[in-house]
Amino acid sequence: MYSTTYHKPASIEDAIAALNGGEDTKILAGGQTLIATMKQHLAAPSDLVDIRAIGGMSGISAAGGALTIGAATTHAEVASSAEVKSLCSALCDLAGGIGDPAVRHQGTIGGSLANNDPAADYPAAILALGATIKTNTREIAALDFFDGLFTTALEENEIIVSISIPVPQKAAYAKFPQPASRFALVGVFVAQTDDGVRVAVTGAGEDGVYRHQGLEEALGSNWSASAAAGVPISPDGLMSDLHGTAAYRANLIGVMAKRAVAAT
Amino acid sequence: MDMTGEYRIAATRDVVWQALNDAEVLKACIPGCEALEWTSETTLSARVVQKIGPVKVKFNGEVELVNINAPQSYTIQGEGKGGVAGFAKGGADVVLTKDGDETILSFAAKAQVGGKIAQLGSRLIDSTAKKLANKFFSNFHEYLSDDAPAGD
Repeated sequence: MYSTTYHKPASIEDAIAALNGGEDTKILAGGQTLIATMKQHLAAPSDLVDIRAIGGMSGISAAGGALTIGAATTHAEVASSAEVKSLCSALCDLAGGIGDPAVRHQGTIGGSLANNDPAADYPAAILALGATIKTNTREIAALDFFDGLFTTALEENEIIVSISIPVPQKAAYAKFPQPASRFALVGVFVAQTDDGVRVAVTGAGEDGVYRHQGLEEALGSNWSASAAAGVPISPDGLMSDLHGTAAYRANLIGVMAKRAVAAT
Repeated sequence: MDMTGEYRIAATRDVVWQALNDAEVLKACIPGCEALEWTSETTLSARVVQKIGPVKVKFNGEVELVNINAPQSYTIQGEGKGGVAGFAKGGADVVLTKDGDETILSFAAKAQVGGKIAQLGSRLIDSTAKKLANKFFSNFHEYLSDDAPAGD
């Protein structure tokens, strides 16, 4: 066994102090990946800094054509939010399909984004919707945020405070869940935004979430399931594992894109 | 996990070979390497910290150089134990080919993990191993390109 010191600061300043005060500190933002990892003894941080009690870290608001979601907002809160439902219901569908009820009531949007699991759902939405990630020190565009497998633009001990999401004209998410974990075997988020069409794919790429150019071009000129169906999807750079080969995932990307567009 | 790759390095084969046998250079190029010291002519002890998302494992192990055919090729292989997390082992066959004043480095690497880390699933292990192998050789390439050793 090993011991861990648990901190629950009420302000960003206290959180940063706690993070800098330990030898091997980790931010706890729901712990749906981190705690499971610690139970397996695959991580043994000296200090955990729970950021959920920091003022202003959770909650949902809408203003000026954008939704702002606090980093510590749980998936269940997003899934059941009337505001999200009316402005971007695809996000409710996505959040409501993450893991199981226990995960949805503990896991948070900020935690999911900072972890950047290559099969997580939220990264696809954030990338396709062109969201902005606000941290304690700066704002990062979604395009610059995801940086490969479990890697983001976040600095050590940088804390996500909120996510600002421009309301799309149309958006939908379709995923083929891995039956045991409900992680995306393949998930495709399609969005028609003021900056054009974006299609983000999770669960499939070797480097995690990415935008599919071919699908974006096809849907940009013709927003229809048949246009999505006509796009060749290359298996190059896709993951292969016992759940599915790269070719299988490539096929699923086409199918999920078609379903997502049909759902808008 | 099996992977291959090739780099063109703007240095003579002797210089590249020397760097491939320099513990300081290897330490600087192996991702997450905290310590690397010779324990014999062909073996080194190593301490490497690896992070895959939430997982952070400290490996203590040994790196060995075998099939040495100076200054042309060798196999670098290592095995590390990460406590309760499990173990990792891997290796790369490295071949240096002369091309005028430049050198073409080609490699074929493989990696394997066991124990609890293996439960993370092959999708993560494979992607990570590929990333690490690529990182090593690109670090190595950068080291020789930036540093432009005088061939001493």
